[in-house]
Amino acid sequence: MTSVAHPAGRQLASFAVASEPGNERVALARVAEAVAGCGLTGPRLERLKTAVAEATMNAIEHGNRNRPEIPVDVEVTQDGPDIIVAITDRGGEHTPAGPAATPDLELKLAGEQPPRGWGLFLIRNMVDAMQVSTDGPWHTIQLTMRTGAGAPVADLPGGGHEEGL
Amino acid sequence: MKKVCEAAVHAVDGTAVIELTGEVDGGAAAVLNAAYQQAIADGTAQTVVLDFARVDYINSTGIALIVSVLAQARAQRRTVVASGLSPHYREIFDITRLSDFIEVFGDLDAALQMHSH
Repeated sequence: MTSVAHPAGRQLASFAVASEPGNERVALARVAEAVAGCGLTGPRLERLKTAVAEATMNAIEHGNRNRPEIPVDVEVTQDGPDIIVAITDRGGEHTPAGPAATPDLELKLAGEQPPRGWGLFLIRNMVDAMQVSTDGPWHTIQLTMRTGAGAPVADLPGGGHEEGL
Repeated sequence: MKKVCEAAVHAVDGTAVIELTGEVDGGAAAVLNAAYQQAIADGTAQTVVLDFARVDYINSTGIALIVSVLAQARAQRRTVVASGLSPHYREIFDITRLSDFIEVFGDLDAALQMHSH
């Protein structure tokens, strides 16, 4: 697994939330507040908010296993045109990759896949880039959204990509 | 402040309507399942409208709940349609392919115009 470089650039926010269900909404709101005025608006801001909420929820449930005493760390950085959100838990390697992370609605409707399992799929499709790294117990998912002229012109579903998985 | 999911169920000319309010996440499971059972209880509704106009958050667990309702409805040969989704959640319905199986209308009136008897 490729390690995620610590993002350079200007730190916009750094905070932690307790690993309790519902705190993904707290992370979402604080990230939205941190990136206000950075040029990320409208549908692309909504996409980042959904990706942050899902990544934080994964960190709470699958990383820190809903133990409130273990925090999820969130760092928001602006590096040139890129808004980078790094979300770190203490669960070690747990993010599934490849086909296991690709839900199939027809199989779910046929009862051949469980109804759940949309989180990572949504994250990948919401952001411009996603990187995952594990360093001992530390597991980080890094989400990148580009602002300004470098932002994708056509925000088509499936336009996100991932690195480092 | 978390907005707990609530559901109001009623019928319009033979079509069942579930008007959802609040957040559709894991905490909505019991509410959504009970609302669906109430909506089909008299056996006459062939179409169930899920109205999201007053929903301000849907997460991946909420998507899974909608998948479960859709699976039940399809097994019973019922149609599920959706109304009132924000553009962002409409996009999520497209990405997940829910919109391949759930016709999406801009608002409840448009859904009922098309589906009520």
